[in-house]
Amino acid sequence: MTVATPPAAKARLDRLERIWKESPGVLGWLTTVDHKRIGILYFFTSLFFFGAGGVEALAIRTQLIGPDESTLSPATFNEMMSTHGTTMIFFFVVPISLGAFGNYLIPLMIGARDMAFPRLNALSYWIFLCAGTFLYVGVFTGNAPSAGWFNYVPLASKAYSPGPGIDFYALSLLFVGISTTLGAINAIVTIFKLRAPGMSLNRMPLFCFAFLAVSFALIFALPALSTALILLELERLLGFHFFIPAAGGAPILWQNLFWIFGHPEVYIIILPAFGIATSIIPTFVRRKMVAWPLVALAEILVAFLGFGVWAHHMFAVGLASATTIYFAAASLIIVIPSGIQLFSWITTIVTGTPRFQTPLLWIIGFIVLFIMGGLSGVTFAAIPFDQQTTDTYYVVAHFHYVIFGAAVFPLLGGMYYWFPKVTGRMYHEGWGKASFWLTFIGTNVTFFPMHILGLDGMPRRNYTYGPEMGWTGLNLIETLGAYLLALGLLSVFVNLAVSLFKGEKAGNDPFGGDTLEWSTTSPPPPYNYAVIPKVSSPYAMWDTEDREEDARNLERGRKVLEQGHETAASTAVDAEWDEVLDMPSNSAWPPLVALAMTGVFAMVLLQQWFAAAIFVAVLLCTVAGFHLKEPEEA
Amino acid sequence: MLGVASIVFLGAVAMLVVGWVRRDRPGLPFLGENEKANTILVVLFGMAIPIVILVALFVISDLVLLPETDAPAAGSTAMTITVTGHQWFWQVRYEGKDAETANEIHIPVRTPVNLQVRSADVIHSFWVPELNRKIDTIPGQTNAIELYAERAGVYRGQCAEFCGLQHAHMAFRVYAEPKARFEAWLANLRKPAREPTTPLARQGRRAFMRDGCAACHTISGTEAEGTVGPNLTHLAGRETLAADTIPDTPEYLFRWIQNPQAIKPGVKMPGLGLGPAKFHAIVAYLTGLK
Amino acid sequence: MSSIPRSMEAAGSGPVAAVERARRTQPSGWWGAVLLIATEATLFACLIATYFYLRFRTDEWPLGGIEKPSVTLPLVFTAILVATVVPMFLSVRAAKAGKTRSAWWLLLLATAVQATYLGLQIHLMVDDLHSFTPQANAYGSIYYALLGIHHAHVAVGLAIDAWLLWKLARGITNYRLIALRIAAIYWYFVAATAVAVVLTQLYPSL
Repeated sequence: MTVATPPAAKARLDRLERIWKESPGVLGWLTTVDHKRIGILYFFTSLFFFGAGGVEALAIRTQLIGPDESTLSPATFNEMMSTHGTTMIFFFVVPISLGAFGNYLIPLMIGARDMAFPRLNALSYWIFLCAGTFLYVGVFTGNAPSAGWFNYVPLASKAYSPGPGIDFYALSLLFVGISTTLGAINAIVTIFKLRAPGMSLNRMPLFCFAFLAVSFALIFALPALSTALILLELERLLGFHFFIPAAGGAPILWQNLFWIFGHPEVYIIILPAFGIATSIIPTFVRRKMVAWPLVALAEILVAFLGFGVWAHHMFAVGLASATTIYFAAASLIIVIPSGIQLFSWITTIVTGTPRFQTPLLWIIGFIVLFIMGGLSGVTFAAIPFDQQTTDTYYVVAHFHYVIFGAAVFPLLGGMYYWFPKVTGRMYHEGWGKASFWLTFIGTNVTFFPMHILGLDGMPRRNYTYGPEMGWTGLNLIETLGAYLLALGLLSVFVNLAVSLFKGEKAGNDPFGGDTLEWSTTSPPPPYNYAVIPKVSSPYAMWDTEDREEDARNLERGRKVLEQGHETAASTAVDAEWDEVLDMPSNSAWPPLVALAMTGVFAMVLLQQWFAAAIFVAVLLCTVAGFHLKEPEEA
Repeated sequence: MLGVASIVFLGAVAMLVVGWVRRDRPGLPFLGENEKANTILVVLFGMAIPIVILVALFVISDLVLLPETDAPAAGSTAMTITVTGHQWFWQVRYEGKDAETANEIHIPVRTPVNLQVRSADVIHSFWVPELNRKIDTIPGQTNAIELYAERAGVYRGQCAEFCGLQHAHMAFRVYAEPKARFEAWLANLRKPAREPTTPLARQGRRAFMRDGCAACHTISGTEAEGTVGPNLTHLAGRETLAADTIPDTPEYLFRWIQNPQAIKPGVKMPGLGLGPAKFHAIVAYLTGLK
Repeated sequence: MSSIPRSMEAAGSGPVAAVERARRTQPSGWWGAVLLIATEATLFACLIATYFYLRFRTDEWPLGGIEKPSVTLPLVFTAILVATVVPMFLSVRAAKAGKTRSAWWLLLLATAVQATYLGLQIHLMVDDLHSFTPQANAYGSIYYALLGIHHAHVAVGLAIDAWLLWKLARGITNYRLIALRIAAIYWYFVAATAVAVVLTQLYPSL
């Protein structure tokens, strides 16, 4: 886009800028409904929780650096261990994937001007912020949960965990679950209805298939967790009995409900990473994805099959043989769609002409780490092997390879990849590569020895170990690795932070990207696209005739929605243009609804039932306020 | 499994290396740019070969091997032991023999034993890595596995399900011994506690019964019938204390009863603050309980 | 492009009805509501699964000597609620056809009956509480949890109804028509879960 914009086109762009610009200053950010701003808010808030979870991890590793250390008391260790897992999963990896990357990029990739429900989008963010704060109020007041992120009963019941820590855990997760559910609904409706007319499903980027799969998985998985948490709180706060055997309850009920959510959750964690990988690879190897339809199908299948395998987390519980055998078989089936994607990526890299720049390096690292994590995961389907290695460091190794290696590496690669688009500046490539290698080496030094420790019998969640166990050397290596890993991550963020101010200016498309977001400015204007883009394939940016037609349309005012705050809505599969939608602008209601909700949860935690009822009434009023102003009246 | 996994991993890494080496040439080595070949590769390596490997893995481990780890059928073994997990120790009962101990299991070598596991409070997991798989102890139900040692020796076990503050210090030992030695040990276990033989030990027994210990511990043949803590009837015959946390010597025993929280913070045993003289007496009594 | 409806601008029964006819796919809000209903339905499925999980762990059910539930009144009340599906459906149909006043009255009728249902059900529940409490045992807990969560959904539905009655009295817009359609499918969902919940609740007596 180096040609100077002709005057008629420029006038259109100016008018659109005036229509779509949000209120200035802090108030503008507090009342924003712009998906890009909301994505940025999610990004920084998630990173804050990443830092908190990282501090917790370093505390754990420092305590375990040698035998019989007393850096942390057992109580503090158990709190660190519990908040580390809870924070990383619920307040970092899912929000940054769905809320930051998803929110920012989905409308851009489908040629839309915002998400389907912009105010709901803002509400999702404010609820996330309030829920995370809620949990950490507990942590900082000495009431952190300490029964693990999986919170098994009876340990998590009132009798064995009498303090409010578990209530902070349960209520903050119910709270953030609302945010995630709303975000998933928003993503699904956006992907189905707001695609640019002409972008039929087979012309939609793979990134969007991954996010569609994630969102559907969240819709059906989260209620299982919510059920478990509601039952737990009814038991803890109101004396109901669901899990206590003496009163007819069942401890295993918790495990079933938790893992019916928990297993799909791990696919929810990894699918966005798959989506990011499928965006970065074609760009940097300069060829289309091998077996594109198979990859799209595989992304959907992973989400779907993830629902049938939950009891493989429970092989030591004493289930009937037939049950364990079924779940082992089902767990093996999931390997297939993962294998298809893996080999498609690898074949695409081999058959393309790859430029090994920073974003691609992170994806290569991801592929290597994902294979390792996947292989150790497959070993769990060998039930006798699982019954030896479950609850040991072998599991800790496995899931850190897949969650950290396979889910976080693409996020870091994606941060580098889209950094120029979001900020308008390039990051420092040399530091980028260095930060990758530091992190990659640190990851392996930290987590690889854990396989060996687990096979050697070291159980997980132990706050210390004896010098006679022979676990000392490997634990020392792991702790040093953790510090190296922290250094690597720090170098990523220092690079990005410094580049934010000192990086070279980036144009619209510094990498030769394949998807639509690279056709607009860096950063994109508030209205994303002046013209509804013409789309003939999933690689819209590489269809140069289409992009030239867009430029002509801008000049002539064709397919330009400029009568108001508008975007196009289309049919779900074939994307035939169906409606012109009016989008809302700045609104104070989302943060107000979130605050009212916080009041409800806080009063429930404090068991102030009358006050909770008052806050429910306030909540209903704020929700009503949300709907007071209709689009016609804007 | 390690072999197959290594082959898969190295194979994939090799392909990535090929990608790096051939980074300026599009297409596959030898086959060139051929979308059909690419797709066949993906289906072959991503679907066909994995299916074969996975089916083999499934058949071998879950259909052939798995039944060997099953719990023994009821009544098929000569001996049944019930182990109950507590926060943070293991209660061990020999069924039908009126014999109980804690944190130690003795079994005759090369004899299958039906091990039933239960829980008195939260979920624990019974695990002797060298002998068998893990089995969770779940309140409200009884699980079972087979305990069988081919060779005589001492096997360490530990709790393998997070159970609270001192989950890390909830280990135990399994002694597999020749049948004669086992029978002798069991016979001794069935006997009530030995009488104290010295004045200090007698003083210790009085303190034990009156100053709080008896509220939580059982010493069979005395008025101590508490069930909160481990059975101490033959404490001096054991090799470790506090669930294999410290050795069972008079020095450690003194340190333990004087201040359990210093050794195992959070443990449910309080420091009773009885003063060194009384503690020495109690130690003298307990070290006589062989 | 001029033929593509600017649906949000439609206000008044004529334009709104025209937009409804022109639209080829469901509006975003409707889709969002369907997905929200999917999560809530999954929640109820988990609760009902919990009921039967607890039930099949024991021989005696209800536990602790609690009497089996009486069948007649709960079934009658549920039938009353299911019947309100009809006025809700007719209300939407009227609104789509441009007959806003009829739509409003039908909505009022449905709301009145739904509120009566809730009142009767709460009365029944208070009665039950005199014989056994949720704190008695797992049977009591899951019985009241299931019922209570269902009633909470009914209460939310009534709040939606009230809002719509207020707004529709001031005329119809595309936004309000979508809201009415959402309210209708929400009530279809609540009616369906009422049937599932009551059958579960009455299972020991069936």
